[in-house]
Amino acid sequence: MLGLLAEEPLHGYEVKNRFESMLGGTWEVNIGQIYTTLQRLERDGWVRPVGSRGDRGKLLYELSEIGRKQLADWLAQPDSGPQQLHEDIYVKLLLATRVANGGLPALLARQKRAYLQRLRDLNQLEERARRDGRNDLARLVRGALLHTEADLKWVDDLMEDVHGGKAR
Amino acid sequence: MSELVRVTDVTKVYQGGITGALNGVSLSVEQGEFTAVMGPSGSGKSTLLNLIAGLDRPTSGSVLVRGIELGRLGESGLARFRRDHVGFVFQFFHLLPNLTALENVLIPAQLKGRESADARGRKLLETLGIPEVADRYPAKLSGGQQQRVAIARALINNPTLLLADEPTGALDTHSGDQVMDLLAHLHRGGQTILLVTHDAKLATRHASRVMSVMDGKIVDDARLETTERPAADVVRVRGEE
Repeated sequence: MLGLLAEEPLHGYEVKNRFESMLGGTWEVNIGQIYTTLQRLERDGWVRPVGSRGDRGKLLYELSEIGRKQLADWLAQPDSGPQQLHEDIYVKLLLATRVANGGLPALLARQKRAYLQRLRDLNQLEERARRDGRNDLARLVRGALLHTEADLKWVDDLMEDVHGGKAR
Repeated sequence: MSELVRVTDVTKVYQGGITGALNGVSLSVEQGEFTAVMGPSGSGKSTLLNLIAGLDRPTSGSVLVRGIELGRLGESGLARFRRDHVGFVFQFFHLLPNLTALENVLIPAQLKGRESADARGRKLLETLGIPEVADRYPAKLSGGQQQRVAIARALINNPTLLLADEPTGALDTHSGDQVMDLLAHLHRGGQTILLVTHDAKLATRHASRVMSVMDGKIVDDARLETTERPAADVVRVRGEE
């Protein structure tokens, strides 16, 4: 949000629209969430309102000096900390190896297909993004493709284990 | 759709335990399909392609292409089969260095005894976006151009089957993308294509069917949906809060 306000002063709906458009529709935010965040940022002195409420009660916000500094610090910070694995499949696979007759081979096969389909969909989305000149979205999709390739490789590894009877 | 390729219980054993052996593989490919055969190196995927291309013979089992039982053909029959039915694209292009691009494209056509293929060769190079390279030698061409020349050579006799073994493996990303787009374009024109690759992204890019080969066996045969889906259904930067 700070990044968008750094470009020019915006009101709440503009922040929402620009944010969602920047992410190519891959992250939808609720307008209420935008307003609460703006209020919190204003309270902390990172943003400030410009002028007074205009037509239909819209209030423009701009970045303060502190906000600008916070943004620069955040952008300079690499993403570190533990790898986040959000997906159920990791837990399912762990359980399938522990539960007797967990059906691990079948689970792996189904998961592999799901990843292949996802790769296919991401490939198409990347192509569409490039065709539409949406290089920012194409970059995002590229990241998603690489993640899915890694997941697929992991499933392949596990399949090879099962194949060779090494699964535990 | 009609069946173009039928492989039945094919085994290929190599002396001395060289990798790439096949162990009881069966599959069929329909006319007009774009199929990817995916697997790690040494899994047998290239062996499978070579058997379908008639470049190699199985130890046991049968390979039928357009109703022709390849095992029944002698060496010259197999050569005729390859010339008439198969276009092959390799990772390292395999162009003859002492022939121009156009002469390379025409090799299979001249084998067939059609001297008038010249115009068709030039037309193909034009269709593939490289009309200007016709009279140049391979050493003067970029990797991407060389691979497109190789594709033109593979297409010169209107093959029943276009087989590609890691066709982008020696190319940079951009040239590789161009080659893949070209294959997709040919497929839309009705060309049956079998693509061998270790790369899952490549396999799923245009092919609607992905076969996975592991340790000489087909372990999965997936048909992928090709309908375009909205971005939010495909990638989500952050889930619900």
